[in-house]
Order: sequence, then C-alpha cells, then structure tokens
Amino acid sequence: MRTVVGEARTIGEPGTKGALADGQRILKLKKVVRRIPKASALIIIGLVLCAIFAPLIAPHDPLAQDLVNSLKPPFFQKGGSVSHLLGTDSLGRDILSRMIYGARVSAIVGFAGVLFSGLIGTFLGVLAGYFGGKIDAVIMRVTDMMLSLPYILIAIAIIGAIGPSLRNIIIVLAITQWVGYTRIIRFEAMGLSKSEFVDMAVISGSRWWRILLTHILPNVLNSAVVLATLDVGKMIVFESALSFLGLGVKPPTPSWGGMLADGRIYLTVAWWIATLPGVAIVITVLGGNLLGDWLRDELDPRHQLKA
Amino acid sequence: MKKTVILCSALLLVLWGAAIASAESQTELVIAQTAEVNSLDPARHNSITDVNYTIQVFDMLYILDEQSKPVPRLALSHRIVNPTTWEFKLRPGVKFHDGTTMTARDVKFSIDRMTDPQTKALFASFWGPIKEVKAVDNLTVQIVTKSPDPILLKRLSLDLAIMPADLFQKEGAEKFFQHPVGTGPFKFVSWTRNDRMVLDANEAYWDGPPKMKRLVIRPIPEAATRLAELQTGNADIAPAIPPFLVEQLKAAPNATVQSVPGGRVMFLYLNTLAKGPLQDKRVRQALNYAINRKAIIDNVLKGSGIEVADCLTPYHFGYDPSLKPYPYDPAQAKKLLAEAGYGKGLKLVFNSPNGRFILDKEISEAIAGMFREVGIQTEMKVHEWGSYVQMMNAWKLEDIGYIGWGNTLSDADGTFTPLFTPTPFSYYNNPALTEKIAKARTTMDEKARLGLYREIQKELIGEAAVGFLYEQVDHYGISRSLKGFHARGDEWLIVYKASR
Amino acid sequence: MGAYIVRRLGQSLIVILGVICITFAISRVVGNPVVLLLPAEATEEQRVALMKDLGLDKPMYVQLGIYISKVARLDFGRSFRSGEPAMKLLLDRVPASLYLCFAGTLLSVCIALPLGIISAIKRGTIFDRVGMTIALLGQSIPGFWAGIMMILLFAVKLRWLPPSGYGPPQYVILPAVTLAFFFAAATARMTRSNILDVLDMEYVRYARLKGVPERIVILRHVLRNTFIGILNIVALQAGLLLGGAVITEFIFSWPGIGRLSLDAIYNRDYPVVQATVILAAAFFVVLNLLVDIVHIATDPRIRKQ
Repeated sequence: MRTVVGEARTIGEPGTKGALADGQRILKLKKVVRRIPKASALIIIGLVLCAIFAPLIAPHDPLAQDLVNSLKPPFFQKGGSVSHLLGTDSLGRDILSRMIYGARVSAIVGFAGVLFSGLIGTFLGVLAGYFGGKIDAVIMRVTDMMLSLPYILIAIAIIGAIGPSLRNIIIVLAITQWVGYTRIIRFEAMGLSKSEFVDMAVISGSRWWRILLTHILPNVLNSAVVLATLDVGKMIVFESALSFLGLGVKPPTPSWGGMLADGRIYLTVAWWIATLPGVAIVITVLGGNLLGDWLRDELDPRHQLKA
Repeated sequence: MKKTVILCSALLLVLWGAAIASAESQTELVIAQTAEVNSLDPARHNSITDVNYTIQVFDMLYILDEQSKPVPRLALSHRIVNPTTWEFKLRPGVKFHDGTTMTARDVKFSIDRMTDPQTKALFASFWGPIKEVKAVDNLTVQIVTKSPDPILLKRLSLDLAIMPADLFQKEGAEKFFQHPVGTGPFKFVSWTRNDRMVLDANEAYWDGPPKMKRLVIRPIPEAATRLAELQTGNADIAPAIPPFLVEQLKAAPNATVQSVPGGRVMFLYLNTLAKGPLQDKRVRQALNYAINRKAIIDNVLKGSGIEVADCLTPYHFGYDPSLKPYPYDPAQAKKLLAEAGYGKGLKLVFNSPNGRFILDKEISEAIAGMFREVGIQTEMKVHEWGSYVQMMNAWKLEDIGYIGWGNTLSDADGTFTPLFTPTPFSYYNNPALTEKIAKARTTMDEKARLGLYREIQKELIGEAAVGFLYEQVDHYGISRSLKGFHARGDEWLIVYKASR
Repeated sequence: MGAYIVRRLGQSLIVILGVICITFAISRVVGNPVVLLLPAEATEEQRVALMKDLGLDKPMYVQLGIYISKVARLDFGRSFRSGEPAMKLLLDRVPASLYLCFAGTLLSVCIALPLGIISAIKRGTIFDRVGMTIALLGQSIPGFWAGIMMILLFAVKLRWLPPSGYGPPQYVILPAVTLAFFFAAATARMTRSNILDVLDMEYVRYARLKGVPERIVILRHVLRNTFIGILNIVALQAGLLLGGAVITEFIFSWPGIGRLSLDAIYNRDYPVVQATVILAAAFFVVLNLLVDIVHIATDPRIRKQ
C-alpha cells in the first residue's frame, strides 16, 4: 500500500531527463553494479550460459543410451567413474549432460512462464483496481473461476488436446498462474487510484491510459516484480509437478523436473538421478529469488532516496 | 507432584498404545494396494484391485489354480449335458455371513444379476455366452449357453460373486452394498474410501477359518510410499514392486520378495489400419528384428521379463512352447527395410503411456534407441493414460504404441479376439484370421482348439502383426513374518491361509 | 453494504455457472470415460448402452442444460465409476481435507508470520537474510520430492512417524509439513513486504518521534494496518493450499478431496470432477467475499466507491 504523498515514482517527471551528465551516469551505473549480489547473479548467469552453450559444455550426448552401464553412481561413490561424473540413469544416459541440457527447459519455463502469466495477471489487476465497478467485478469473478478450476484438469485438457511440448507447458503455466498476480496487484492499484497524484492527473485532464501507464503501472511494478521473482522458481517446480503427473516435456528431452519425477522411484537405490536435478532446481530458484529481492530493493523509491 | 502424575500417565498411555498396536498387528494382515476399489458392488468392477476385494468377502463357483485349471469352490462338480448345457452340483452346508445357507437360488440370482443388461455390469462381456440359468433343485444348477463355450468354467471363476438372494432382494442393492454379505473367508466391517477397508475373519468359513483375524486393505497409489509401509512393517503385502528395488528389498531385515511371471504380455501396436510403411509386412518384421529384447530385460528390467514368441504366456490355454520369438538381428532388419524401399531411413511416431506399466516410458525410449540403430527415426509421444486409451480405442494411435495386455480368462481367446479381430482394440485386420479366431472360440474339443491356435500364432508371428516384446514378471513385497502366502500370476491376493 | 453483498452473491452464481460451462467444455476435449470404464472384452452394445446410461449420447448443450437444471435442484449426479452420488462422495472427504488444510495453514502461519515480521523489523541484518533464505528454501523444493524425502527420513530411517495414512495427529504431521514448506515461503515474504511498507508510514514515524516504545509501535500500529494485507495473502494461500494438496494427498495416501478429484480427472469421472469444481468455486467466492467485506469495513478510503 503506497499512498504516501510525494514518494510515488512517475516516469517523465521534469528534471530527470538530461539532468545527469554522461560521466555521472556511468558512475551511477558502476555503483549499481557493485551492489549486485554476486552469488545469485553468478547462479543465474550460469543457468543462462548452460542453456545457451549446452552442446559445447556437455561431455556426452544426453540422448545416448548405454543399457549395460545403467544406474552407475557418481564418480565420488563406489562403482562410479570419471567418464560419467555424476552417474547414469536407468537407460545409461549421462546425468551431467542431461542436467546441462535440462537447464534450457528450466530457463525457458521459468522466464517465459513468469513473463506471460505476469503480463496477463498484472494487466488485469491494474484494470480491476483502477476502474473498479463493473470491470473490477468481471475480472474478479473470472479470477474466482480460474482459482476453482483444478490446474491439473486444465493441464490435462490443454496438453491432451494439443500434445505435450515445452510451448504447451508454458501455455498451461500462463493460463493457470496469472491469478496469483491479479488480486494483489488489484489491491495495490486500488490504493494508488485514490492517491492525490492520480486525482490531480484526472483533474488536469489526463486520459485514463496515460494515467495507468505513468502513475499506476510503475508503482505496481515493484509488487509485480516481487511476485514474478517468487514465481520463476514456482514455474520450474510446477514443470516438475507436471512431469510427475505425466504431462511434462516430451522424452527424450531432458528437463530437471522430468528427471526429478522419473528418478523418484530410484531414490533408495540410485539417489543421484533425482537428487542432483533437485539440488539444481533448489539452487537456481534460490539464486533467482535472491536476485529478485535485490532488484526489488533497487526499485524501491525509499531506497533510491537514501542512495 | 501434578507434573509427575501427568508425565506418568502420558508414558503409560504410550506404552499401552504400543502394546495394543503390537498385539493387534500380530493377527492383523495389511495389504498396501495400488489403487482404491471402484465400489463394493461387483457390477461396477473393472480391474484387479476390485477383484481382490471380491475374493475376500465372496466366493465364486470355481477358482483357477497356478496352472490355470479350474478348481471347485462353491461348485463341487460339473457335467456337460449337451454342448450348450452344463450342470453343476453345489457344495452343501455353505453359510453366508448372516447365517443363511447358500443354495442354487442364490447362484441363479447372482449370475442373473451380473448378466442382466439392466445391471450394466462392466465385466458383463465375460459372461456374454451365458443364456440362461436354472435352479434344478437346492444344490443343482444348470447353465445354458448361447453357443458352445469351451471355457465356461473359467468364466465362472472370474469376479462372479455368489450373493444371498433373499437378503439382497429384501434390502435392495444400495443398502446391501453398504454392508455386503457373502460366503467368503472375511466379513465386511467398514470402508472409508481412499483410506482403508476393514474385514474380519469368518470363523465359520467352509474351507477353514483364516488364521489372521483381521484384514486391512489400504490403497496407496505412490510406489515409494507403498514400499515405505512395507519397510516399516506397517504393511504385510505390497504388490507391484519395481524390478530395480527387488535386490534392496530382499536385503531388508523385515521384508522379502516373491517373484512370479505375471501373465501380462507387453508388445507394440503397429498401426496397419492407417496408410503408411507399417502396412508392409517387411517393415513390421524389420521392427521385430531390431529389438534386443534380452538387453531390455537384463538391463532396464533387471531380469524381470521373460521372452515370449507372441502374445500368449504359459498361463493361457493355446500357448505353444515350440514357437520361437524373433531373434535380435539388426542386419536383417536393415536388409528388410532396404527391400521395402526404406534403405535411406524411415520416420515413425512412437507413442507410450507414462507410468501405467512398469517402466513403460523407459522401455519405449530404449526401444526407440534400438530403432535408431537400424535407421528408423522415431518421434516419441508420451501420454497420460486416459488420453492414451482414448486415442487407442478410436484407432488414432499413430504408427507405434507401447501396450500391455493382461490375462483375464487364461485363454488365447481373451487376447486374440480383442487384438486381432475388428474391435476398438485392434490395429490389425485380416479377415481369414478373424474367421479362424471365431471358430476357435466356439470349438469344444481341446485338441482341435490347440491346433487352431497354433496355426493362428504361426500366422501372427509370420505376419509380424505387432511388435512382440516379453512377458512381465511381477514382484510382491512380503513381510518376513508372514507365512502361507503365495503370489499368483493373475495378481489375485489369496490370504486366508496366511499366518505369522 | 447489504446491497453490495447481494450483488456479490449474484455474481457468485455467475461464477459457478461459468465454471460449470468451462468444465463441460474441457470434458469434451479430454474425451469420454466409457473406454476407461469397460474392460477390453466389452462388446459394442455394451459401449453404446453405457454411453446412453451415463447420458453421454446427447449433444453437449443438451447435457449442459440437463446438468444445470439438476444442480439447481441440488442433484449433482452420480459417479461414473462407483455409482454413488457425486457430491456425497466429495463431502465425505471434506473433513479429511479440512484437517490437512488447517494443519498445513497453521504450521505455515506459525512459521511464516514470525519469520516475516522479524525479517521486516530487522531489515538488512543477518536475521533478515537468513530468515528469507529459509523461507525461500521451502519454496524451491518441489513438493512431491520433499514429501518422499521426508517419508524416507522420518518414517523409514528414523521410524519416528508413520509413512502414510489418516487418523490421529502423528499421521498428519508429515503431510502438513510438506504443504507448509511451500506456502510458508510466500506468506513470509509477502508479510515482510507488507510490514516494510507500513513501517515507513507517516503515522508510524510520528509514533516513534513521540517516543512510543517500539513494541507498542509494532503491535498497535504496524500489525493492525498490515492485517488486511496479510489476511488477503493467507486467504489466497489457504485456497491454494486446498488445490496444492492434491500431490501431497497422493503421496501420503490422505483421503481428501484432492486425491478424489485427481482420480476422477484421470478416470474422466465427470460428475465428480464437476462437483469438485462447483465446491471449490463456492468456497472461493465465499472466502473472497468475506475478505472483501472485512476490507471494506475497515478501510475507509475504499468505502467511498
């Protein structure tokens, strides 16, 4: 709830454009970069690098089966070897290579899923909060409808109809997860709509879409970003839940969620098949969230003023 | 002072609770089942988990032994009056749980109910050949069939529960099944759906009272959890143990494993109904030559599989041990593909369910890898079981589909009629073969039947009607303290002779 | 206020109607249950007869009309699989689900609120960092994995708790913790965010300036004003908990609504699926209505609308 006068940020406020000389701008950038939490950033960069350069980094072909060498442990355990650093799965495929390739799926599912669900949810939340009345009622009822439909039903329906694939998983995530944003963004937008700033803008004759863009949206962005960063991890975890239910990415494409789901029955005899991707998920989600936290603090105007 | 009192009473409660628990568990047998029963009404039964409830509370006229031969239960003997009329003598002095005596009237009532179209029993097609049931006298029943039916006895051993006619008619179906009454080794006590079914021993059971006084059936769908219950001693029997966990379980202090060939045959549907490469016999044969069944059985299934020549197992009447499976011969596969004009390679869609059968997805992937070795590129599509069945039954499975076929009637007909005659389960159409299968279905002479089935199988193998794979081996986790339980190939859990 | 409630109730009916229609549409897509019900040996006559018996042979809009008129008379149909009345099947499971949901929410709130409050008050310190990291950890672990790991650790290895089942409190601990993991994280973070916002409010600064002890500042000013925000979050989470419990119920063999509806979806048992959706919709609209009423009653600015 941000209704404190004078602290709301507005884009295009007089005095910000061109007010800083180039040199000062570079200095500001340096300061910002220095503040970035190193560990989390490294994790996310690592994820993206794995995703992009997988064919170059991975020691083996993730699809190559070697039935005789199935269920081999990682190199640090008895029976393991350095040819398969992290062991092999039930079909003899190299776990490390599958994890590196799996980063692709996780990265795409995480970012794209959050992007689309966030866009839909925030947009609807802002509309509902600002306009109130009938529009608010309609959007809220639609939200209620979405919340009562079991996401598994929707997932089976969509994936049953258009087939299992990465794209379709993102569609499922976008359709089922946007509700998480709407209610909270609406709440904020409602509060913002009553602020003096907005009242002044209305009086001065600003059009509604201008008000939305310049007053409401930037201020809900913080909440949206917090929700979004929480959700990146949730998307990756959801992908694994979908794999658990048999609705994940098409095999033999490796995905962390799929490896986790498939490997769970092997936990007592071959712990590495599920545990290692699980650890990868945990580290990635953690990194993403910590980074998002920092981002939020950066965007927080109170923080700005102190800087 | 007060604190000490409270502490002591708490301690006593815990000890008492523990004492009760261990006393109870001595005479209590817990089964960790894979799924919940549909309903207590056999008319709504369609799976083995349902049957495993029926056989505790009810008896059937016959039961199949481990060699698939019918053994008398509520029926004592039979004679064939004419090819379509059978006469049965019933066991005298069998009492229902409410004390009344079982007579021919009850048998007639029970069979009539299940075959009545109004009841809409899901298993009704098993008893399709039955036309009429007559109660000749108190202990004699006559069954008339629509056409000669060589496997009537097997049909009568399948989930055809004998229920008390008077009680049922007095209470009506809904009330009766809230507290079902039968002649079986256990009496129904209570049922909380998805939690547990509790049954108590029938001390007046005609085959001797069960040594275990209480039977609890708990549906636990997650395999890891089922296993945990077994390992902690909370469950005595856990079916469907995955093969790679068998070694570990055998080494556990309080559990062991019983393995038994399952009568379920895995194979690959090859869609010959749709236009495409699979309509060419050589392509289908090539697929069969390309599969290294031994490698799959040894490595992926850790030995839990038996190579079979086609879709029958030794449990099935009609099985012919002289028939040999396709050998693993990738060179031959490539040669056949080249002959058929696919020397440059071939692209096929490979469908698989996910988790419905043991390691189905993994095995499909392994086979796809083998196909790749001979130049067949596959596009893998994994489906949730419900969607898979929809596609399958509408003939929408593209190219290849991994599937398993269970054993219900222990007879070749139970496999061949659905799979190789025009039905929603068939992807292979051969009119001459269809006729032969229909003939074998109604031939009463055993030797003639066997001859027919040998011919049929030779044709199926030669034509490579499907991609032949293997017979599944089932593993049952058993508590070490349990004696007298024997796992069966038909997955029936007969526990009334078990004890600690 | 009265008019508002009436209006919202009317809208709720529309929500439920909309949900029924969507579920019907989805059921067309995922196919019919007859093939899943009948064994392979079933005849064509059986298939046709069963379709007719289940009412699936009529065109969809006719089925929809029949269903809605039945629902208006509180008849929710019978399960395709067991023949029992669909709503009764569901309602029998409600106590188990509520039990788990309550335990899970309680645990979640007990962990999350203190975590969030302390992190907010001691913002930027080690408490904040550690607290939020712990919360995050909960959200990073896939539920089904956490559940199975806990069974392996606490049930099989340590023998402290039973692996699965329903009954006295020791059975609900593991599943409730599994649920709480996930939801505690989000609740903690949202709580922290909310409190941080309020901490910077004018009146809080003013109270501090006046010399009011910190404890009273927190209790009286901060908590009271974050109440609504937190209530919103907890309500949302509790609702999600009901839906998120599906996988947890599956793993721990907990006989709740989640497990029943999962089975129903897999088996295409539409009457049960539809009954579940209607129940969930009713639950949500009532919950949201209550939260909104409290919100309006306590926040004078919104009342202007």
